Order: sequence, then structure tokens, then C-alpha cells
Amino acid sequence: MHPRRPNHHVLLVAPLLALVSACAGESAGRGEGVLVAAIGDPGHLNPAITTNGGVHTAAGLLYDGLLTLDDELRPQPALAERWEVEEGGALYRFHLRQGVRWHDGQPFTAADVEFTFEELLLKFHARTRASMGAAIVDVRALDDSTVEFRFRRPYAPLLQQLDVVEAPILPRHRFAGQDPLRNPANTAPVGTGPFRFVAYETGSEIRYAANREYFRGAPALDAVVLRVIPDPATQVVALESGEVDWLFSVPGPERARLERDPRVRMIQTAVNPGGSNCITTLGFNLDRPQFRDVRVRRAVAHAIDREQFVERVLFGDGRAADAPISSRIAFAHASGLAVPPWDTARAAALLDAVGWQRGADGVRTAHGVPGVADGTRFAIGLTVLPAQTVYADLLRAQLRGVGIDLRTQALEQAVFSRTVFTVRDFDTAIGAYCNGTDPEIGMRRMVVSSSVAPVPFSNMAGYRNAAVDSLFELAAASLELPERRQLYRTIQEIVVDDQPYVWLVETTATRAHSVRCSGFGTSSHFAATARCTARAP
Amino acid sequence: MSFLLVHVAPGDPLIALAGEHGDPAYYAEMRQRFGLDQSLPTQLATYAGRLAQGDLGFSYVQGRSAATVIMERVPATLLLTGTALLLAIFAALPLAALAGRRPHGARDVGISALALGFYSAPVFWIGQMAILGIALKLDLVPVQGMTAAGSDARGLARTLDIARHLALPALVLASQEVAVLIRLTRSGVLDELARDHVRTARAKGVGEFAVLVRHALPRALLPVVTVIGARVGHLAAGAAVVEIVFGWPGTGRLMFSSLQTRDTPVLLGLFLVVALFVVLANLVTDLMYAAIDPRVRLR
Repeated sequence: MHPRRPNHHVLLVAPLLALVSACAGESAGRGEGVLVAAIGDPGHLNPAITTNGGVHTAAGLLYDGLLTLDDELRPQPALAERWEVEEGGALYRFHLRQGVRWHDGQPFTAADVEFTFEELLLKFHARTRASMGAAIVDVRALDDSTVEFRFRRPYAPLLQQLDVVEAPILPRHRFAGQDPLRNPANTAPVGTGPFRFVAYETGSEIRYAANREYFRGAPALDAVVLRVIPDPATQVVALESGEVDWLFSVPGPERARLERDPRVRMIQTAVNPGGSNCITTLGFNLDRPQFRDVRVRRAVAHAIDREQFVERVLFGDGRAADAPISSRIAFAHASGLAVPPWDTARAAALLDAVGWQRGADGVRTAHGVPGVADGTRFAIGLTVLPAQTVYADLLRAQLRGVGIDLRTQALEQAVFSRTVFTVRDFDTAIGAYCNGTDPEIGMRRMVVSSSVAPVPFSNMAGYRNAAVDSLFELAAASLELPERRQLYRTIQEIVVDDQPYVWLVETTATRAHSVRCSGFGTSSHFAATARCTARAP
Repeated sequence: MSFLLVHVAPGDPLIALAGEHGDPAYYAEMRQRFGLDQSLPTQLATYAGRLAQGDLGFSYVQGRSAATVIMERVPATLLLTGTALLLAIFAALPLAALAGRRPHGARDVGISALALGFYSAPVFWIGQMAILGIALKLDLVPVQGMTAAGSDARGLARTLDIARHLALPALVLASQEVAVLIRLTRSGVLDELARDHVRTARAKGVGEFAVLVRHALPRALLPVVTVIGARVGHLAAGAAVVEIVFGWPGTGRLMFSSLQTRDTPVLLGLFLVVALFVVLANLVTDLMYAAIDPRVRLR
């Protein structure tokens, strides 16, 4: 441990030790507490009624899904022990683990699963509702330990959508007959997860204690405290000063400093609370006359050097995207696609051919471009979230090189969603599209024509292609992996050819933790397998 | 007025309410559930009606009464701003008197330069520097929060714990106020020292210190009191920034996050609370006047 001034340190640690011993209570008490930093105050701890990342960060430890996903995204048993798929994928039957209890001592049964899906997830969890909602007939408990999912047509992605992020299971006895959005149980939650809820001081911290009866084995840690530290720079300092042990993300510019710090270890992951396998994407508004011609969209793609984004924006934390589907979804990701390489000469030639000619100041003007008045400058807007202005700066510089003048408009989340997806008043925009664990979850919504809708992170480009729509229908209904793989490959070839988007970079996150702890995971249950040594005096 | 401002501003509370990636039917349903599909005048009428009964509505984000959500955070902000204001007053007055005593002397130049520096530097930058320098390098005080993580301390131990966490954010917040107060008091003292009553006092043989403290300073304080009262609103704004940098669980941070998520009921409630405090501060200012200015009498 690093040297500290002992006199002050005792003051700092004393209450902490008190906590650890208090939480350990009469039980084992060998373990230690871990202090975790979170950016925002989640407001509540019900992950079944929202896809908000802050809520999922804070509530993940409390709950389980029917299944979990391993590193290769293959489904593994959790609350469900085994399962059968029948009727070509239109009927799934799950056999639940026996003897699991809620944190309040009540037994967990199939009725909880039925209730969670019918009354919470399919009504309020935006992703689960949007992907599963149209296809499902019902979720029914056959007896205490068996539950059936019945679909109108074969539904392939189900097993990818039952982990604690997409489908956490909540206790029926706490929610039945009440408004789920205003239920007191949302801030005093009861789950089945590796940690149970102890206290929530809004704006300040949330405390958890180990669930000694956890069905996958009691965690080594006794307690977890999630501290709300809204400023990312302050979070890093808090880790350096030993006030917290775990950060969910480290800002790029601070990473080099922490890498040199012997008190800190880092973990790379593509998993983010509430969404994983994200690709930062540039979208063209296809309703705008400048982007109707596919050659213009290809020219923009040729003008972009994606490697520079990896280096300068991500500080090496990620990779250049080479397909519309994330490389982390290995079965569906297509390699060797004809993605336009960085080639400014080719970009310039394409723009010339369309009729965008270079003016005296280097910016192109229209000469015979369909739908655009002659003499119009190629000056367009780029709408981004405040956190993505770094992408905008680099993009602006790269497109300026081929004579396109980008003007950045940074809008905060609420305004961004409305401007881009509801009003559609934008030329180009940057969105972080999280692929999730299956193309049905994250990829479908950005290209199928039914999701050209006033919905955040839907089909931003306004792209419509009947072939893509029907291929997605086929892929969702196919249970054969090779067949799905081929269908997604065809989809990606078509979409790359049409280029309604430029897929820029696959982002990963960097977690950081103090060396006094080890064994962290990257999933929602990150602390379930962790252990820490005592804080040095 | 603030109701209209908040509603006319672009943006939609729905994302915060419902999360991303929903289908249109889902969003329409949620809109209806929270009354967001009503026309603006209808929404205003509903709001005003409830407000008259002391009901601030439900927070969209937290699903709890907005009044509860706000009141949980008020004490932390009062503690922070109150301490900062006291610190500022107790630091600024002696410094200003010192500076004003010998204008353009070494002490005056030093103190005035310090005040100018604090006045010009943005408070978030001072905050970051304080964290890096005082908290991290010297390891004197914690960098974030109001209490030690997971602390169950009670009574005196809890008070001490809070005091240690309070020190840095209060100092940073006070730095701006100190700057304003020093500059104002110094020029007041300067003016007063040139006046006849001071000359008379000196002629009577009153010592320099007494002249400063008994004759010049009290009169110089009159405008300062006015300014302190008027700066309560400003202090609340500065507190928001300091609360974010130091992770202080107060109303400023709540306002910021509610603004981002368009949590209108909480936002409007906060405006109401801040307005209330500004009015209260002005009232206190007027009462103070009666106490320190013999020309003002309350009847």
C-alpha cells in the first residue's frame, strides 16, 4: 500500500472499519468492504422499468436474470437451471432452480418470472418491450418451478435477452397491485442477487451487504458502498487518494497517469451498464438533398481516417469499426466487407463527379447537384451529445480536407433526442449505438424501416430498404446459427453498400481498481467474485 | 413564469422517464401516464392547482414526491453555503480593513491582487486545483462526499466527519465571495478614512486601530450588508458547481441533474425553494440595516 500520513488516515478509516464490521454482523466477517464510484445518482433501483445505465449500474448486484452470458455471449444457467426449445423456436420452457430465496426470505417461484415479464419488462423495459413485445404471446408459470414463453412465430434471440441487464427478475410479492413507477420498493429493493440492499442516501451513497445465502455461493466481500461522485476527474482523484476502490470508467486523458500508478490496476471491457458492444456511428439524414446520392455518403466515408479516432479520441481504448455489427458478436459480425477505406483522393473524385466543386476557400459548392441550388456551399451541421464533441472536432478537420464544412452543434441528451429522432432537424449526427448481445437488440433498430420513428436511438438515418427488412424477419425467426450468420452477412453487405451510416469505432471501457482488491468481473455482478485485503493503516 | 420557461425549453423528459430504445406506442403510453400529452395551459392549470395545496408533484425520475426529493437535499446546501458565507465574511473584513488602512502599500497590493485572482478564476478550476493540491498532495482532507463512505458514525464523530468533508468545498465556495467582499469593503474603508468624522476622531486622540474598527469599518459595512444579501442567489449558483466537483449531495447538484433529465416537478420545486431563500435573505438584510444603521428604524 502507498505511504500515507497515518494520523489523518486513522480518522478516515475508522468509520469504514466500523461499517465493515457492522455489515459483517454476526456472520463470517472475514471479508472486506469495497467502495465503488458512480457518476450519477440513479434515483431508484428498479432495473425492470428502465434501460437507464445509472439505474442498472446501481441495481445490477441486487438481481439475477433467468440466464447469464459468458464471455462469448453463450447463455449459461442462473435462476433457470435448464431449458427446452420447442416448436421450431416458438416455445421456450425454463426449469427454475429450487430453493432460491428473495433477500426478505420469501421463496422465489415461477410466478415471479411471469409477473416480472407480463407486468414490468414487457410494459416498461424499453429494449425488451421493443424487441420481444411484438412477437410474444405470453409468459406463463406452469407450476412453481416451470415457466413457458410462447411466441407467435419462431423467435431466435430470446436466450440472449434473459440476463440481468435485459431481463432482471423482480419479486411479485413486493409489486403486485401497485403502480410500478411509484412503488416504494423501487428505493428499498428486494432481489435474489449476490448483494442485498442496506441503505440509500440520495445524492450521496448506496450501501449493500453480502447475500450469505446467494445460490451461486456467498461473495467474499462483506459489503459494497456505491458513492455518487458526479465529476469524472474527482473520481480519479478519489481512487488515487484511496477514498474509493473501483471506477466504472476512466476518462481517456487520465488513463496514462493511472497506468503508471502502482496502486491501481485496470480492466478493459466492452460491457457498459445498460448496453454493451457499442459502436460510435455517424448518421446521414437521408431526407436532406445533399445525402440522397450514395456517392456523397461514400465520399464522406473515404474521407474519414478511423484509426485516428482510435488514437486521438479513444486513446487506444477500442478499435476501428469494420462492419455494422460489433466484432464482439462473433457469430454475426462479417469480416472482409467492402467498407470504404481512408482515401481522400477517391473522396474528392466522387464529390467532383456528383457536382460538388471546390471553391476558392477550399469549401465545395454545388454545380448541377440534384435537389441542391447551384452555388450552395457544402456546409452542413453535425449534431452531437456534449460528450462527443471530441469526435466532432476530429471529424470536422478530416472532412474539411475534402472540402466539406462541418458545423458542430452540441446538444444535451434530452434536446439531442428530440432534435434528431423526433423533429429530424439535422444534417448529420453522431450516435453511440450499443449492439447488445444480439443483432436483434441493437443493430435491427438502426436500419429497419419500421424503426424510422420518434424514438431515441432508432433509425437515425431514415434508411428504408425492403430487402433489409425482410432479411431481418428471416434472421429473427431462424434458429440455425449458420443460417443466421449468412443472413446477417447479407444484411451487412447491403447496408455497407448503401452507407446510410459511417461506422466509426467500437468503443470499450476502462475500469480501474485499487491493488488491494482483485477478482472483479465486468458484468453487472462485478463485485460478486471480488476480494479485498484490509485497508493498510 | 418558470413553469413556461422550463416547458418551452426544448427537450423531452421521456428518455429519463422511460429509458432509450422504446417503441412509439410505449412512449405515447408513458406520456399519457404522466399527463405530458395535455396542452401546456392544461398542464399549467393542473400544476398551479396542486401547488396551491402545497403539492409539488411527483419526480419523473425518482417516482417519489418532489417535495421529499428536494427537502432531503436542502440541509446539505444550507450547511455548505452558510459556512462559505461565514468564512468569507470573517476572512474578508479584517483583510479589507488592513488593505484599506494604507492604500497602495505592500499589504494593500498583496491583498487586492489575491482578491482579484479569486474573483477572476472560475470556481470549478479553483475546486480542481484545491483537490489536486490540498486533498491529494497534502492528503489533509477527503476529496468528495459529505461523510466518509458507509459511515455509521453518530453524534460528535459524525459532526467531525462532516466538518472534515466540508472544509474544502466551503473554502472554495468562499473564495469567490471573499474576493467580492474584500474589494467592496476596502473601497468603503478608504472612503470613510478620508471623512471628517474620522479626522475628528483622530484629533481627539483615538488610536489608529480604534479609528479603523470603531469609526471607519461600521459605516463602510452598510453597502457590504446589502451586497451580501443580494449575493445569496449567486452563492446558490456557485454552490451548484462546487457540489458537482466535490460530490456534495445538495440542491445545486439536484438542479443540474433534474435539468439534464427534464425532471420538471423537481426543477420547478427547486426554483421555488431558491426564490424563497432569496426573499428571506433580503428580509434579513433589511432587518440588519435596522440594527447597524441608526438612521433606519423599524416601526
